This record gives sequence, structure tokens and C-alpha cells, in this order.
Amino acid sequence: MNAGRLRWGDALIGSLAAGIVVAAFVLAYTPAGDARVLVISQAGVAPQHEPLDRARVLEVQGPAGITRIEIEPGRARCADSPGRQDICESSGWLQAHGDVAVSLPNRLTLQVLGTDPGFDSMHY
Amino acid sequence: MRRATTLTLLLLLATLLLAACGREEPDTEQLGFYAFGTLVDLSLYPAGQYDVEAIGTAVQEELEILHTSWHAWEPGSLGRTNELLALQGEFSAPPSVLPLIERGREMEALSEGLFNPALGRLVAAWGFHQDDPQGPPPDEATLAELLDAPPSMQDIERNGVRLRGNHPDLQLDFGGLAKGLAVERVLDLLAELGVEAAIFNAGGDLMTLGRPETRPWRVGIRHPHGGVLGSIELDAGEALFTSGDYERGYDWEGERIHHVIDPRTGRPSRGIDSATVLHHDPALADAAATTLMIAGPEAWPEYARKMGIDHALVVLEDRIEATPALADRVQPGRDREPFVVRELP
Repeated sequence: MNAGRLRWGDALIGSLAAGIVVAAFVLAYTPAGDARVLVISQAGVAPQHEPLDRARVLEVQGPAGITRIEIEPGRARCADSPGRQDICESSGWLQAHGDVAVSLPNRLTLQVLGTDPGFDSMHY
Repeated sequence: MRRATTLTLLLLLATLLLAACGREEPDTEQLGFYAFGTLVDLSLYPAGQYDVEAIGTAVQEELEILHTSWHAWEPGSLGRTNELLALQGEFSAPPSVLPLIERGREMEALSEGLFNPALGRLVAAWGFHQDDPQGPPPDEATLAELLDAPPSMQDIERNGVRLRGNHPDLQLDFGGLAKGLAVERVLDLLAELGVEAAIFNAGGDLMTLGRPETRPWRVGIRHPHGGVLGSIELDAGEALFTSGDYERGYDWEGERIHHVIDPRTGRPSRGIDSATVLHHDPALADAAATTLMIAGPEAWPEYARKMGIDHALVVLEDRIEATPALADRVQPGRDREPFVVRELP
């Protein structure tokens, strides 16, 4: 009698299930390469997540005017924003995890996320 | 038996699958708004436990009160105090400015005068008493006049709530201290509101209240020249403050004029692009960051020691220097050179 042994079907199901688990861990815990998403946070508004997968231009309306954001695969930048000091624009291309640009006149931050564990907060 | 084995195996794998998928669930809630003249970001732990809107409103109201009271050039309690100090007669001070004056005195003494909140007139002469700072910078004659026997916090006489100014040029400006005190107030308020753990971030300067149950707080540190300088894990009650030449300033005839004024020269400080301090006292962290930037590339470790700061880091044009204690805690970012460790004298 082979009541205590696994049959080939059991082994197949077990292997498939184990494969799914391994894949889930790999997807969840492996660094994801370069920047994957741009988080646009504007005071009083829910954060907006934009994938960095294709080139496009976004315009965000703020209290001081329009902030123009350029997105390319894997990076983004503050191309134009109100304010005479160009602090937002001078941050350049944001492409490493955690890179951030700030527009105080328009009360918004741009931050790219992708690799490494996420930060709870960004010090600058 | 076989069926039981198969089921046990599948159950185990299903549990592991749940563990893998559960990682992405954020355990904090985020709240952002504009207050105290800057962008404020609040991370609350655990997620789903708080009335986030009510907490945001309470924090915003507190910050607006402090901003109005402590503003260096707009009408408010500090503005009125400056007017009365200039008259050099005795007067009753608004209660809200007394903690600023006391901590300002303490920081001036600790820094041996490098941090001097009595030099508001000098800061104003450089065009920084306006929302959008601009030149022209003061001429040599004006600078010489402002540096001739300049005022200090010791020129304020205090008897209880009664104050008297003893210097005609005395004008208080608590940039480099007010945000630290505001952060302290907000953390007290969050604790009163029953918040278990949070990070309060005001324009990049931040402090932790408590910590998540199973992990430290993870904070990224932005490099003043762009990108991420590194990351640090924070425990409960730790404040991280930076003073940098990129924060407020303007270009004048090809030169960058920034807001951190060296009281020894009367001019914007030179040599250090930014200084970062970690301490449990946010007001001290704030004032020390400004002081280290003024102290310059050679002397910053000496002033860190004078102010009781073990954890500090400065960014220079070609390198990053850190105290041994902070170098141990900050994980440099990808493609960043290791820090140059400077021992405290």
C-alpha cells in the first residue's frame, strides 16, 4: 500500500506552489533597479503616483502658478516652476531612489522611488 | 496520511505567500500641508488608528500661531518686542517670545557668540527680511557700522516677564532656532493627542516621536548638490536638522549670497555647504547646525564639542566629513565616497 507516499500529481502541485512562493518573495524583496515611480505631494492633496515608464510632461497647478514636470523612462525633473530662485529646477534630474525637488511657492515636493526600502521621511 | 501531508505543505506555502505579499502594506499614514512658511509632512504610526484630519488641523493651527508670534519681520509678538527693545525702556514681554529669548541666550553662550539671534539688523541688511530675498548686499560702510560693537543677547535685561533692551541696534531674529522650538511644541501636541509614534518633518528638518513596534524609522538624507547623501535609522525622540547655503539666498554679480551670516565677518559664511546635526533636543540641533556652518571647515569639530554635539556631518565642496558617532550611523548612498571622519577635539 502506498498511502504514506506522494504521487506525481501531489509533487507537481507542491512544486508549483513552492515556485509561486519563491517568485512572490523575489518580487517583494529584490531591489527594483532604477527609479520606478514619481510621487507628487502637494499640500492638502492626496499624493499622486506617476510611473516613470514613458516620456511625457505633466502640469500641476499650485497657489503660485503651474509647475511643469518632465518625465522620461527612469527619471523626472522639475522643468519649470514659479519662484525667482529656481530652487525646484536646480535639483536637476531625479533618478536615484529618494531624489527630491521642492517648490515652496507651489507647496509641492517631487520624489522618485524605486530601489532600496522606502524611507519614512526625507531630510533635506 | 498522504492527503494530510499534502494539505500541510500547501498550508505552509500559502502562509509564506501571505508573508511575501504583506510586505508592501505601509504601516504609516502620511499627511502633508503648508505651515510655518514651509512644507510640513507628518508620518503617523500605526496606520488606520488616528483621526488624521483632526490631527492635521490641530498641528496646522499650532504652527500658524507660532509662525505669527515668532516671525522676524512680519507684525506679531516678536515684531512688537523688537520695537519695544529698540526704545530701551522696560516693558512686559509677550509670553510667547520668552522661551525664544531664553534658548537664544543659551545657544549664544554655548556657541561662544557664533550663533547670535540679536543680529537681526545685520541679516536684514543682506536682504533676508522679506519672503523673496534679494540684493543689493550692504556696502562696506554699512557693514563696518553694523560690526562696530554689535549687539548680543546679553544686551537684553530680564526681570520676570519684564524686558529692557540695552543696545540701539538690537533686533531679534530667531532663524536657526524657531523651527527647532516649533518642532518640540508639535511633538508635545501629538503626544497630547494620543499619537503613539510619528515623524514630524518641517521643510526637511525632522524629529521622531516614539517608533514603530518592530522596526526603526528610516530616513533618507538629501545631498545639497542633488541625489541622496545617505540614509539613517532613527530611534524614538531623535531630531535631525540641517543648515545649508541652498535654503535661502540670491545671486548677486555672479556670487551666491546665502542667509547664514557669520557674525565675525558680517558676511555669508564660507567653506561649508551644509551642516547636519542629530540630537534629542531639536532647538539645540537647529542652532548647532547653523553654528557649525558658520564655524567653517577647520573649526566645526571644536564648536560641535563646545555645544555638546556628538553626531554631526558637514558637506564641503569635495567631501563629506562626519563625527565618528554619526559616521557609524549614516549609511552612505549609492556611488557616494565614504565619509572623512573628524574626531572631536
